[in-house]
Order: sequence, then structure tokens, then C-alpha cells
Amino acid sequence: MKDPPGSLSRRDLMRRTAIGAGVLAFGPAAQACSSAGSSGGTSASGPKRGGTLTFGRGTGVVNFDPANTIADSDVYTLDKIFEPLYITDPQGKLIPWLVLGHTVSSDAKTWTFTLRPGVKFSDGKPLTADDVVFSVMRCAKDTAGPLSYLDAAIKSMHATGARTFVAELTQPWAPFISDLSVYSNAIVPKDLNGQSAQSFFKKPIGTGPFVIKSWTPGANLTLARNKGYWQPGKPYLDEIQFPVIADENQRVLQLKSGTIDIAGSAPPASVSGLKSASGVSVGLFPGWLCDLLLFNEKIPKFADRHVRRAIAHAIDRKAISTAASFGTAPPAGSFIPPSVQFYDPKTPVLGYDLAAAKAELSQSHFPHGFSTKLLVPSSNAQYAATAQIIQSELQKLNISVAIQSLDDASYHQEFQSFHYEMFLNWSVNDITDPDDMCTFQVDPKAGGSDSYWTSYNNPAAIALVHQGETTQDTAQRAKIYSTLQAVVSADAPFIPLDYPPYIFAWRNNVHNFKVIASGTYRLESVWLD
Amino acid sequence: MRKTWRYAVTRLAHSVPVVFGVTIVTFLLLHLIPGDPARKLVGPHAGPAAVAAVRRQLGLDGSLVNQFGVFLSRLAHGDTGRSFFYGVSTRSLVISRLSVTAALVGLAALFCVILTLPLATLAAVHKDRLADHAIRVIPLVGLGMPAFWIGILFIIVFSVNLGWFPVGGWGVTLGDHLRALVLPALTAALGIIPLLIRSLRAGVLDVLKADFVATARAKGLREMRVLFRHVTRNALIPTVALLGLNIAYLIGSTVIVERVFDLNGLGSLMLDAVGNRDFPVVEGVTLVFAVAVVALNLFTDLVSAQLDPRIRLG
Repeated sequence: MKDPPGSLSRRDLMRRTAIGAGVLAFGPAAQACSSAGSSGGTSASGPKRGGTLTFGRGTGVVNFDPANTIADSDVYTLDKIFEPLYITDPQGKLIPWLVLGHTVSSDAKTWTFTLRPGVKFSDGKPLTADDVVFSVMRCAKDTAGPLSYLDAAIKSMHATGARTFVAELTQPWAPFISDLSVYSNAIVPKDLNGQSAQSFFKKPIGTGPFVIKSWTPGANLTLARNKGYWQPGKPYLDEIQFPVIADENQRVLQLKSGTIDIAGSAPPASVSGLKSASGVSVGLFPGWLCDLLLFNEKIPKFADRHVRRAIAHAIDRKAISTAASFGTAPPAGSFIPPSVQFYDPKTPVLGYDLAAAKAELSQSHFPHGFSTKLLVPSSNAQYAATAQIIQSELQKLNISVAIQSLDDASYHQEFQSFHYEMFLNWSVNDITDPDDMCTFQVDPKAGGSDSYWTSYNNPAAIALVHQGETTQDTAQRAKIYSTLQAVVSADAPFIPLDYPPYIFAWRNNVHNFKVIASGTYRLESVWLD
Repeated sequence: MRKTWRYAVTRLAHSVPVVFGVTIVTFLLLHLIPGDPARKLVGPHAGPAAVAAVRRQLGLDGSLVNQFGVFLSRLAHGDTGRSFFYGVSTRSLVISRLSVTAALVGLAALFCVILTLPLATLAAVHKDRLADHAIRVIPLVGLGMPAFWIGILFIIVFSVNLGWFPVGGWGVTLGDHLRALVLPALTAALGIIPLLIRSLRAGVLDVLKADFVATARAKGLREMRVLFRHVTRNALIPTVALLGLNIAYLIGSTVIVERVFDLNGLGSLMLDAVGNRDFPVVEGVTLVFAVAVVALNLFTDLVSAQLDPRIRLG
């Protein structure tokens, strides 16, 4: 799995949050997005029960605590054991999961939820509102939790019955349901069944379709069916083995040889070979991801808006998509990916136009060009190719680029300390709503990253981000985010390059395998023949 | 025999500062390179307070001198600390991965011996003829191509196409383990076999000219006996020394070979730990590697002394 920029990842997506005035029943109001890619085959004979799925991934699970991890392998596994109140389905719809639905007060600050009946933890205890209140508040109050900031709008939460609970918000908060769907808000038993976190998460108990059978931290893991799972007849699989296969080429070879059934994160270069391989399918699943070229606005040349715009015009995104991603990642327009809610395909983009680039540069304080550096992570072959293309294209503006390739840890430290001039990275949304990435990339204070370590600070854009959070009407929100996308595109604090998909490959005996835009995959409906 | 023991003990005592030095250099290098383990653990959304809390929890908030003191104190008690990333003791991680790497290095060394002895002898006996040229040139491919490339070629040919060996992994049974190790061990061995063949071939050629060989032949001994009883044994001495030195190289090459063949050994653990800036694990694995190299060098000296009575230990 791709491990995003500073390291975050996974996110959930929904096309439309039906947060209108008054009462809302979720599910049906949400509209499907077109993000789901191809998926495991289906069979006329229908699902079969039984079998062991072997799913090769790059890293092992280290931590099952939803509130305290951000590592891909942890996140994409713990959601098989713990479930949140809402989930994003493979079509991009945000749907009620452990709840039946909710109502919202007229001031949009009091939200009342009803739990789905008949849900039990894997130890047989019924799911109650107390468990939910404990879980969400545990995440919200943990300031060291990587995603606790998503719960910042929660003022309090309390149970009003065995299956009903109420959340009080500090202000009307449009992305609230989306925020609740994030994996960090997954439900654990109240007080962790009286155990310490360290002890509980060694043998975790959740409501999810699977339980841990055996686990070596950081190494191999086997999950077994939760026999008391609340969806009748599911999961279909008896067991899932997650061997750790660090090398992506090795994962592909093990898939081809039949050693594993699914290979997580296949390299883009392997896609054409996988398509022609017998007995194997490959899927490119749109993610809430966008590859970016980012500028350090703390240094004069990139504080100059004309310079950034000139570079935006000088870069041929189609060439990057073709050469660096082997055509797997479509060229980008808006910084909000198409699979995220309120993406505007009509966002004016500073497209490839050398004359326009030269005109922009001539208006800047650096009309004759300059020398600069481009920081890239050494582990990313795609970025190495992208950097070379950018280096070549900017030469036409007399901008001389030195590529600085560092190992991941050093790379992160360098850009997070602003010891860089330009860098390549990707943005990731954690939830269905665009608020997450907009805050992180545009609001220098609330996002906590000084606008993704660019120091971009446009009060008009920041105001739009806040309006998007507090406006409840969906149509109005769409307009706000369209304006925001246009403003950011014109300012070019970062240049969206392409939208990388999640690439998975599987044997053809695997059915109903689908990847959600967050990068995760629900496996309770997967079956083998 | 007593002298050998005394020598071994003295050498072991001398190796303590070597291992200690390696450990200290590793500690300092790790703390000097950029990359913050705490930031890696908490992710980019976490504020400075959260990062500082994790740094405190990991013991990274003190000065370098202070951290070094804690490190030395722990080391003196045989404790290499807890992994930042896995949350378990470094010792348990190292022990769980040690057998894979030890088996890989052992089998690779065995391949070196099995392939070098006959090939080098054959080349020397057929000096400047086709067999000699072929034996000298073909293995150079192994020296010239990177291990990860040879490894992938082996996987495609012998695992994917022919299905003789698993593509990767370690398997469950002893048979699985042995099959899983053949290709990686061969890949690792190919990196040093050309050197060993050249060394042994040169040694055999030298010894063939020695007077005692002429004497052996004059006594009427059969050529094979002359070759293996008198020539090869004497020619082996520099090659054994070379093999000893190169097993240290083999240990280093496991970092790449294990990754290519999906073996979760110490090399793989080291690679992940460096990427994660998991300081205790890097220090622990380095310590094991340093001890292994020192021990192998000592073992090589002892074997050389057994092969050549002229070598005086001490």
C-alpha cells in the first residue's frame, strides 16, 4: 500500500453528504460515485463458503489500536476486526453500518443516532451505546492520536438508551458523519473490557467479520471468521493469511506462481504484464489521492505567484502520466481528486502552455530564470521519473533543477523542516468529505502542517475552507468547494500532477474483491472457488 | 591444543573493543542522520506536543550524551532495548529472525565450497584451455551483476517458469525451508564464487610446481590422489582465508537477498529498521552482525592453522 506523504493514508469517500435542513436518514440519500474500479470476478454459481485467502502485502501489522495508528497495514487490517458507525462502500457511498441512521437538530449541533439491533462483539457481548460513546470519545480526547483532529467538532457524546446516543457539536459541522466513518472512530468495547490498551489490542475484540487467529507483530498474521458476525452467512472465508512480502515485484511473482491469491499494491510498471498473465486479474481503483509538486513559499522565488504559475504552465502532466505512471494515473486538474466529494471537473487549470509559462515568468521577479532544487523520496521510482521530466521541462524556462533524492525518513524531515525548495509528494483524504485535505493543504493553522509545508496563506481560500465546514446545504457546499478549487488552482501553491490509483492484482478464483477509495478493502463478501 | 584455546580466548578478548566500537559508531551515525522516529510514528497531522510526547516516551528527548549513557548502561546489562516500531524487545526480534539468516549464510558458504573446489581444480589442471577460460569467465557474470537482478532472473526461470523452487517466503516444514533457501543462497554465493575460484586456481597452479608434488608423483601416487591429498589441501589455505573474509560480505548481502526472496531474516529486519529509524533494532542487528563477523574471522584463522601446520597461533 502506498504510504502517503508525511505518512498518512487511507481515507473514506462519499459523493454526497445529504446534510440538509432537519432530519436525515443517511444511506439512501448518499449518491454513488464513479470511483470503484474493476473488481474480483463473479460467478453464476454464487458465493461459496469456506477456504483460506492468502493476501500478500508489503508490511506487517504492528498496532491494532484504531485511535493510535496511521500505518497502512494496521489500518487496512484493523477494519476487519473493528467497525465504525458508517462506512464508505466500494461505489463511494457513505452508508450506515453499525447504526440504522441519525437525526439532526435544527441548529445542526445535536445529532441523535440509533444503533443497529443484534450486533455483538466477537466475545458474544452485545454492542451498546456506551461502547460507542467510549470509543469515539477515546479517540477524540487522545491528542496524540494521528486522526483525533477529525473529532475536534465534538463537544460531548452521551448514551440515551441501550441503543441510542447523542453527539453535541461545538458548531454546525457538515463533515461530521464522514468524520465518524474514519477507521480511528471504530467501535471497541467500553473500557476495553477492563484491560489496558496494550493488553487489549494484543487480542482485540470487535464487531467485525474477522478475529485474530495468530499474529507476530510486524510479520505474518492470520485472521479467522467471527462466527457471531452480525451479517447472516458472512464472512464467506474461513481464514485470511496476510504474509508480509516487502518487495513489490516479489509479490507480483508470488501471485503469478499461485503462492498468494491477492497482491496488494502492485507496481504501475507491472500492470501491462499482469493484464496479459493467465489466471490473474488486475484492478486500478481510484483513490482519494493526488500527486503534487509543492513549493516552499518561505523562499522568495516561490513566494512569487508568477513563478509558481509559470511552472504550472511549463509542466506537461500527460507526459508525466504516460512516462512515470505507465499510464495508470490520469493527469490531474483540481487538487481535489475526482473520487472525493465536490470535485469540480470544470476547475480552471493552468495547463501545459510554454508561451503562457514564459509570459508568467517575465512578469515575475525572476524573468531570466534561476537555479533550484527538487526533493524526492529515493524509494519512489515513479517520482524519480517525474522529477526528471520536470527537470527537463523547466530547462525551457531557464530554470535549472537539481534533483535531491533522499531516503524516506530524511526526506520527510527535510520538507517538514522547510529545508527544501520544491518537493514531490501526494495528498490523501482521510474521509469522504473534502474538508480533510482542504484544511490540511490550504489552512496553515487549522491543518497543522502550514498548508502542507508550503506556507501557502491566502485568507480568501482559508475563509472558503471554513465556510465549507459549517455550511449544511449540499448545493451551497458544492459552490463553495468549486470556488476554492479555482482559487487554489490560480494561486498554484502546489501543482496537481496526476491521480494515482490503488493497484491490486488477484487470482481469478477470488471473487467480489473490491477496493474502496480510502485504499482499504472489505473482505466479508469475498469468496473463493 | 591448549595453545589453540589460549589463542582463541585472547582473540575473543581482543574482539570486544572491535564489537564495542562498531556499536558506538552505529549509535552515533543513527543519531546524526536526519529522520525522526517519533514523527514517523505519529504521522504528519500530529502537532508538536504530540511529537514531543512520543519522543519523550521513546527516550529521544535527552541530549545525545545522555542518550548515549542510557544506551551504554543498557548494553552493559545485555539489553538492546525495545523496538520503537514493533513495541517488543529487540532481542526477541533478533532471535526470531536469526535462524533464517544463519541458514541462508550457511548454505551460501556451502555452495561456495561445493562449487569452488571442483571448478578451480579443473581450471588449474586444464590451464589455458577452453575449460579454464570458461570457468574463469562465466562466474564473473555473478560478480558483475547485482544480487537483486540475479535473484529476480533466478525466480523467473526456476520458480515461475520451471516451478522447481518457491518464488519466495520461508515455508512451514524443514523441506520447505531448504527449498526456499536454494535460490537465495546461490544468489548470495555467486557474488563471491568468482573470487574464490581465481584464488584457488592460482593456489593450485603454484602448488603444482612445488617439489613435494613432483616427489609425490615420483612415488607413483595416482594423479587424483596427488591433486586432492597434496595439491588442493595446500592450495586451500589462502582460499579459506578469503572465504572467511567473504562470509562477512555474505552476511552483508543478506540485506538485499532476503528482500528479493521474501525471507524475513535479520537483513530484512535491518532494512526495515533503517527505513523506520528504529534505532534499537538497527543497533541490535548491527551488534549480531559484528559478533558474527568477528567470530567467523577467528574461526577462519583456526581452520587455516589446522590446514597448515606452519601457521603458528599466538
